Amino acid sequence: MKPDAAPEASAGAEAGSPDGAWLRVHPASPFVRGWVALAAIGFFFFRDTFERMLRGGPLVDEQLAGRAPWLLGGGGVLLLLTVLGYILSWYFTRYQVAEGYVRLNTGFLFKQQRQARLDRVQAIDIVQPLLARIFGLAELKFEVADAGESAVRLAYLRMDDARQLRAAILARAAGVVPDPAHPGEAATEAPEHAVLTVPPRRLSGSLVLSEQSVFIVAGGVASVVLSALTENRSFYLFLIPAALGIAAAYWNSINRGYNFTAAISPDGIRLRYGLLDTQAQTLPPGRIQALRVSQPPLWRIFGWYRIQVNVAGYGAAGSDGESSSRTTLLPVGTFPEVLTMLSLVLPDPGTPDPVGIFRAGITGVAGPDEVPAGAGVPGTDDAGFVTTPRRARLLAPLGWRRNGFTATDTALLIRSGRWWRHLVVVPHQRTQSMALEQGPLARRFRVADLVLHTTAGPVSPRLIQAGLDEGRALLDAQAARARAARKRQTSEHWLDQVQALAAEPSSPGGSSITDEPNRQDDRQHG
Amino acid sequence: MHTEAIDPPGITWLRVSPKYVTVRLAGWALGNLIVVGLLCVPLIVVLNGGWQSFPLWLAVAIPAVMLLLALWRLLLIPRQVRAIGYAEREDDLLIRRGIFFQRTLVVPYGRMQYVDIGAGPVERGLGLCTLKLHTASAGTNAEIPGLPAGEGARLREQLSARGEARLAGL
Repeated sequence: MKPDAAPEASAGAEAGSPDGAWLRVHPASPFVRGWVALAAIGFFFFRDTFERMLRGGPLVDEQLAGRAPWLLGGGGVLLLLTVLGYILSWYFTRYQVAEGYVRLNTGFLFKQQRQARLDRVQAIDIVQPLLARIFGLAELKFEVADAGESAVRLAYLRMDDARQLRAAILARAAGVVPDPAHPGEAATEAPEHAVLTVPPRRLSGSLVLSEQSVFIVAGGVASVVLSALTENRSFYLFLIPAALGIAAAYWNSINRGYNFTAAISPDGIRLRYGLLDTQAQTLPPGRIQALRVSQPPLWRIFGWYRIQVNVAGYGAAGSDGESSSRTTLLPVGTFPEVLTMLSLVLPDPGTPDPVGIFRAGITGVAGPDEVPAGAGVPGTDDAGFVTTPRRARLLAPLGWRRNGFTATDTALLIRSGRWWRHLVVVPHQRTQSMALEQGPLARRFRVADLVLHTTAGPVSPRLIQAGLDEGRALLDAQAARARAARKRQTSEHWLDQVQALAAEPSSPGGSSITDEPNRQDDRQHG
Repeated sequence: MHTEAIDPPGITWLRVSPKYVTVRLAGWALGNLIVVGLLCVPLIVVLNGGWQSFPLWLAVAIPAVMLLLALWRLLLIPRQVRAIGYAEREDDLLIRRGIFFQRTLVVPYGRMQYVDIGAGPVERGLGLCTLKLHTASAGTNAEIPGLPAGEGARLREQLSARGEARLAGL
C-alpha cells in the first residue's frame, strides 16, 4: 500500500496506468450499453422514412406531409438528447485505484461517489457481452460482501485495460507492496495454471439428463396422452410455447456454460466460460463461504457432479441465469474433477484421507447393521460420518443412513439425499451463526436439525435429523472450531497468510500486456 | 417451564420482560380480529337476507374456525413469550425461542456486523425494545424482542464491545 499516492485529477492520463490517476471508461461504452435504446428510438421515428426511401417513393407521405417534419424533428431531438445524456454520463464517470481503495464517481445531476476497500474484495469478474466483445471491450465487476448489486462496475474498458486493472486490484488486495525498484511488477498478472475444462459434449449431455429434461419429457408425454384420450387437438397447442421456453432455457445454459475452464493462480480461482457472452471470474483464496456438490439421479449414469458455491459478493441466485452461473464452480464434472476443485477451494482439507472422506460424503451410506436395532445410537460409516439414529428412520426411510455430518480440522461436511445426492462443505472460519431447530415430530424421535447460516447464495447448509445429543455436541464443538479457525485467520491480505505463493516468481507466466512498466509508479518513486 | 430438549446443558437463560405479552396481544388483536371481522361479512350478508345461495353453515363455520385458531394462538402467547430466552456466553450469544417449533441460535460475537434496537408504538409505551443482531448472513435472524429499554441498551453496548474485541472478517 502506498499512502502517499495522491489522487491526481489527470483525466487524460494513459489508460495503462491505473495507479492514483482518475480515469474514464471507454468512450464507446454508453453506446454499447445503450444501443437498444438508440435502436428503438431510431426504429420508432424513422422506420417510415426508411421504408419509403427503400421503395423509392417520396420521402414523406402526402397525408402526413404537415406532421412529418415535427415527427422527424422530435425523433431527432430525442435521439440527440439521449446521445448527449450518454456523453455526459460517460464524461462524469471516473474511477481511481489508489491507497487501498477503488473509487468510482458517477452522475452529473445526482452525483455519487463510491469507494470500496481493495482488501475487502470478494470476487472480480470480467464480463463481455457479445456486442462489447465485437468491439474488444469488457466490463469489470468488483464485488464486496454486500449481497446485492456489484459494488463497482466499470463498463466498458478495453479488454487489456480490464485485465491489467484486475491484476492491479488483486495484487493490492493480496497485500503486494509495489516495489520501488520494479514498479511494473505490482500490476503483473499472476501466472495461472489451467486445471480443467468441461467439453461441450459433456455439457450438452448433462443438460439432456438434467432434472428439467425429466420434467419436460413427463409434461410432453402427459399432454400427448391427454390429447389422445380426449381426442382434443388443442393440447398440442400448449406444446408450442413450452417448446420455445425449453429451447430458450437450454440455449441459455449452453451459452453460459460453454467452454467452461477453471484455472488456479496465486490470486485465486479463475473461471472462464461463455459462448457468445463470455465471463471470466476470479475468486481470491478464502472467499468461498460454502460449497455444495450435488448429483441429480440421472447423472449417476455417467458419474457427473455439479458444484455450487456461496460467495459473499454474488448474492442469492435469482431466477436470471447470470447469478446462477456465477455461483457455479463446476457445471458438470467427474469425481476426480470434483476432487480437484475441492482441493482448490480447500487447500488444506484437514484430514489425512481427503479422497476417502469426500467419496463417503458424496456417495457413502452408513451400514444398516452396524448398530443393533433399537439402540438409538447413530451409525457411523468408515469415513466417520455420523448419521441419523436408527430410531428416527421412519422420518426418513430412505435418507436416514445417508443424512449425516463429519468435521475435519478445517471444514464441516454435511451430506444428505439418497436420490438427489448432496454434500455441503462449510469451512470452519466461514460459519456465521448456527441454530438448532426442532419441531414436534422431531422431538418425538429425539432428533434435531442443525442449520448453519452463511452468506446469501444457492447453498443453505442444513444437517437434517441429527440425533439430539450429537446435534447439541456438534453445536458446541462447531462453535469452538469456528472460533479457533477465526483466530488463525487474521488478515484479509491473503499473501500474508500464504507466504509460499508470494515467493513464487511471477514474471514468466505473465502476459505481454503487463510487461510495460507502470509509469505512474515511476514518477512517484523515481 | 420444562427443560427444553435442544438447549445446550448448563445455560441459565435470561427471560424477556413479561410485559412483552401485551405487545404480542396487541399484534394478535390487530391481525386476527381484522381477519375474523372480514370473514364475518358473508355471515352478516346472509343473515340480512342477501346472497341466498350461500349456505348458512359455511358462513358460520369459516369465521368460527378462524376464531378458534386465533383463540388457540392467543392462549399460546404467554407461553411463547416465556420461551424466549437469551444467554451471554464468553464468546457467543445464545437465543432460544418457540414451544412446538424450537430454535436455539448461536451467534459468535466476532460475527456480528451491527446491532439494531427498535421499538414499535406499543413497545415504546411499555418501555420495551427489540434488539436485533445482524451477521453477514441473512439467515441469522437473531432477534430478542421485549427487552426493557435499559437492558436493551446495556446489551447493545456489551455486544458492541465484545464484537469489537473479537472482530473477524467474513
